[in-house]
Amino acid sequence: MTAPALELRGISKVYPLRVPGGWLPRFSDHHAVRDVSLVLPRNRILGLVGESGSGKTTTGMMALRLVEPSAGRILVDGVDITAMDHAGLKPYRRRMQVVFQDSYSALDPMMTLAQIVAEPLHIHGLGSKPEQTEQALGWLARVGLDRSYGNRYPHELSGGQRQRVAIARALILRPSVLVADEPTSALDVSVKAQIINLLQDLQAEMGLSILFISHDLSVVRSLTDEVAVMFNGRIVEQAPTEAIFTDARHAYTRSLLDAVPVQNPRERRHRTFLTRAQLEAATPRLAQADLARPALSQAAPQLVAVGPDHWLEAVVT
Amino acid sequence: MIVYILKRLASIALTFTVVSVIVFLMMHAVPGGPFDGNDMPVSDEVKAKLNASLGLDRPLYVQYFKYMWGVLHFDFGVPFQSPGETVLELLGRAWPPSLILGGAGVLIGAPLGILLGMAAALRRNTWVDYLASAFATLGLTIPVFVTSMLLILVFAVWLDWLPASGWGKPYSWVLPIVAYATIPLATYARYTRSAMLDVLNKPFVTVLRAKGLSERRIIFQHVLRNAALPMVTVFLPMFIGTATGSIFVEAMFRVPGLGAYFVSSINLRDYALEMALILMITMMFCVSYLISDILYALLNPRIRTGGRRG
Amino acid sequence: MRLLDVVNLTVSFVQHEGVVQAVRGMTLHLDAGESLGIVGESGSGKSVTCMAALRLLREPPAKIAADRLDLGGVDVLAARGRDLAALRGRVAAMIFQDPMTAFDPSFTIGHQIVETIQAHRATAKAQARAEAEALLRRVEIKNAGGVLDAYPHQLSGGMLQRAMIAMALSCQPQVLFADEPTTALDVTIQAQILQLIKELQAEMGMGLIMVTHDLGVVAETVDRVLVMYGGRAMEQGPVQKIFDAPLHPYTQALLASIPGRVAGRQRLVEIAGASPNPANPPKGCPFHPRCAVAEARCGVEAPAFQTVTAGRDAACWRLQ
Repeated sequence: MTAPALELRGISKVYPLRVPGGWLPRFSDHHAVRDVSLVLPRNRILGLVGESGSGKTTTGMMALRLVEPSAGRILVDGVDITAMDHAGLKPYRRRMQVVFQDSYSALDPMMTLAQIVAEPLHIHGLGSKPEQTEQALGWLARVGLDRSYGNRYPHELSGGQRQRVAIARALILRPSVLVADEPTSALDVSVKAQIINLLQDLQAEMGLSILFISHDLSVVRSLTDEVAVMFNGRIVEQAPTEAIFTDARHAYTRSLLDAVPVQNPRERRHRTFLTRAQLEAATPRLAQADLARPALSQAAPQLVAVGPDHWLEAVVT
Repeated sequence: MIVYILKRLASIALTFTVVSVIVFLMMHAVPGGPFDGNDMPVSDEVKAKLNASLGLDRPLYVQYFKYMWGVLHFDFGVPFQSPGETVLELLGRAWPPSLILGGAGVLIGAPLGILLGMAAALRRNTWVDYLASAFATLGLTIPVFVTSMLLILVFAVWLDWLPASGWGKPYSWVLPIVAYATIPLATYARYTRSAMLDVLNKPFVTVLRAKGLSERRIIFQHVLRNAALPMVTVFLPMFIGTATGSIFVEAMFRVPGLGAYFVSSINLRDYALEMALILMITMMFCVSYLISDILYALLNPRIRTGGRRG
Repeated sequence: MRLLDVVNLTVSFVQHEGVVQAVRGMTLHLDAGESLGIVGESGSGKSVTCMAALRLLREPPAKIAADRLDLGGVDVLAARGRDLAALRGRVAAMIFQDPMTAFDPSFTIGHQIVETIQAHRATAKAQARAEAEALLRRVEIKNAGGVLDAYPHQLSGGMLQRAMIAMALSCQPQVLFADEPTTALDVTIQAQILQLIKELQAEMGMGLIMVTHDLGVVAETVDRVLVMYGGRAMEQGPVQKIFDAPLHPYTQALLASIPGRVAGRQRLVEIAGASPNPANPPKGCPFHPRCAVAEARCGVEAPAFQTVTAGRDAACWRLQ
């Protein structure tokens, strides 16, 4: 059995939070992410969903080691990269790339598109300059931009085109893992579908593994194989995508799904909303008989199996 | 707020001490002493005696503590270049003209500059804006001694309305003050314009319009209040910095102010005066920063009120 | 009663690079108590249309022209300073996309609601404050007294959007313009705010104009839809009819491309190409370069926006 493309084992991120007032600065711990474990299998798209402040972006950044975890381990292709130094990490950086929501600020405005896309090859010293440019132009074409775009600059592009450039730059190194952080959130409706299709196609062609971070559940439903739901820095539910949409068990997952706007005016309904305090108190309580696999009976919430590949944070009695 | 002020006062005391130590050490690290000048040859024996009488032969830290002890009792010593009086007396004689020049210049230039900047911002991209901006740019790029010469040429030489130099009756103050006022005027005009435009482009201004407030209320209550915030941090230190007068303007109009002593005290290794001037300026900057920071906190609810609620 | 009546509205912006036509001949109307959704992508001119109706654009660089632009029976284009101020907030109020930047950071929420009330009605401060607190309670803010004395930076985005709605409703406007009111908010907060707006609209009998890029928001909230593209109206009609049987190829493509409509991972129906550049729009119908059924004349002349069946209008040569 081959190792998964990316695995997070119990990672946490604690930020010191300044306590206001007082003579000397005092800090309390803010847990942005607590004890999150995730497996991104090869050739799969895993959706990581949650609201702002849920810790989903921090988790993605820790997977790339762009944010250092406070605890836990990160494995890429089965190799622990948690403690690697800059030099040791470099070959693994090649295997993990990222696309952000706001590609405009991520593209150097002074560089041409060919230079931007070729830059990763340059950084990793792959090929001669003409070869790098040739590859970059090939990738521009592959993401649906004509080769003539090579001489243009980011400001000449629309939002969707910039996102294509960002994808080309991320994939030119042929990574095995792509972390996509809300890549379609800033796009127009008519362009969003194009980018989602592009990601689908490239994923299939290259056998990519994608960690797709998003708050947009409709996009997640069309794009992902599996979904992990984050709330307050923890994963509260994880399951194959359709199981999440048809058989959500956690109150928070259900409240997220219930909040999605209807697809047709005919489905309009009056909603009742749970408060955050109610959601926080809504950890399910399960008996051993409810579990698909046995777990420890304990008062502390834990992720337990409740169906095929369906995990739920619950208290087991 | 009180804790905040106390903290700031403590940091001022620290800044003051550090500056005094650094300046003291630097002054003494520069080769040469007050009796090394070529124009006043002194034998080594006499020099040693003079140094001893002034305490200049003692270890540096002793000299420093002795000096600071004096400072705490408002004793800044005696200036070498004018041994007939104490440093304090010299400052008392030379400071008022500088203070009047700088203070009046700022008091006239700053409000005019603010008005000009406001007019430019409210009428942006019209001739009012272009004229004000051009004026402000000229004011900043033309050195003040050129402005001074132009003023002397026009009002003293050609029109003969005002004296070309000196510091006697108040009417002789007019030209130097006007010359000096161009600096704050130009600076404040530019700064006010950009601060106002910054606020005018904020989304909340559109919201204020959308809810039906009069344009006058929007400008005078909301825009000015928010534009004042960044302005406060720059204006006060400038205000007090300029209150010490301008060396160039004083030289051009032969104003008997502090300006001349800044240069001479350094050239002549007049430790006592040099130290007193630097400490004075340090103190004024510290206090003005404190005042502007307090004003900033008072104007800015983010600092005043802290964290979230509701 | 006709609250908003716009005929042939054009809005252009004079910029260094030339003139940008943001709105090119829009016609729309809103009756009392009715809700209209204006759907479009960024650059379609939907927000500019609303800003123009309240004359909130800076003129110049904006230049507004229309055969008719009446709001609450007042000719907005002829109105000057004081008359406009009396119209805004009182006849028509507006809420905006980003609640975090919509309040003056230097004043409390209470101050900003009170000043709105006092701008339109001679009300004693204590009375206005009591009204403000009642409004905050009506938009389901539990700690209304505390929020009254809070500064904007102390509140969350959802809370601020509620406060902005309270402020907009403080003078019982006849029309509420909501410009992407939930785009900056999390999905659960979005659902709460949309439901609140709907409730308040029904309760106060207001007209509502919901500007959005999100067809889901339209499906949730409005009676009638106007679809905009490239500064022009593409299609207009009752919301259910538009969702069931869109007439215009753009509306059809837009509805087909919505993700998450069916179960399972899959490719989506996509609309090729990119939105038109407002500085250099295509000749003829703005959608024709991306349209699957475009004909030769589509690139020559723009079709008129005209009635297709009762209550339904569209601008497409195939429907004329």
